[in-house]
Amino acid sequence: MRVKHPRNALVVGGVFVLVAIIYYLVSHDAGGTTTLAALGIAMGLAAYALVVGTSDDL
Amino acid sequence: MSASTALTTHAPAIAEGHRAGISNPILGMILFICSEVMFFAGLFAAYFNVRATAPVWPPSAAEVGEHLAERFDLHAEPWLAAILTIVLVSSSFTCQLGVWAIRRDDRRGLIRAIGVTMVMGIAFLIGQVYDYSQLGFGLSDGTFGTTFFTLTGFHGAHVFGGVIMLGVVLFRAMGGQFSARHHDAVEAASIYWHFVDVVWICLFSLLYIIPTK
Repeated sequence: MRVKHPRNALVVGGVFVLVAIIYYLVSHDAGGTTTLAALGIAMGLAAYALVVGTSDDL
Repeated sequence: MSASTALTTHAPAIAEGHRAGISNPILGMILFICSEVMFFAGLFAAYFNVRATAPVWPPSAAEVGEHLAERFDLHAEPWLAAILTIVLVSSSFTCQLGVWAIRRDDRRGLIRAIGVTMVMGIAFLIGQVYDYSQLGFGLSDGTFGTTFFTLTGFHGAHVFGGVIMLGVVLFRAMGGQFSARHHDAVEAASIYWHFVDVVWICLFSLLYIIPTK
């Protein structure tokens, strides 16, 4: 399946960043917030790179 | 940022509704950096956890003694670390100048820029070793010493890896292996160098600027 707008792949990471924000508001735990936010950044970047990096010629 | 620039540079056909994909070296580097983000997130999280559970941070004189408590106060003398930060941030600019040079097919400009970047990376490492020798505490001096050396040590190891990467790029550039069309290794090394730079900015802010409790 082809993703028409690669930037939409960033939503994958955005979800975890949102979870990180909610987690921080609830717990004030910087350690857990850091890992959740980093997971979001890493997943968003990976999803974006994979979508953009996929050739239509495959 | 270089990663997004590299992505857009290597996917010019997106606007026309057709994606040609990006090269394997750059895609591999971006995915590698994603794993590195999680690696450093683990280290930062460990630091935050130790810091949050400590009653006083850095540990007080009553806990570790007068000498160590004084040494743990990194906020009192952040100047060497600040100079190292300026060196590393500047090296990111020179690295990017190298990328822009080879995109214009300016091979001499690439060699000059990557050479300067490499020298700045080595200067950073020498400065960090000197800083370690002046700190007055070690890896085994409590949770503060352990987290400090783990964070900065792993970052230093990554800078060392980046310097080697830049050395390979420089060697290949001197052999005339890069051109405006073929320079994926330069782009990949540049993305890695920018990442290492961003991690240091986070480390410097965390260890030397953010107030203690």
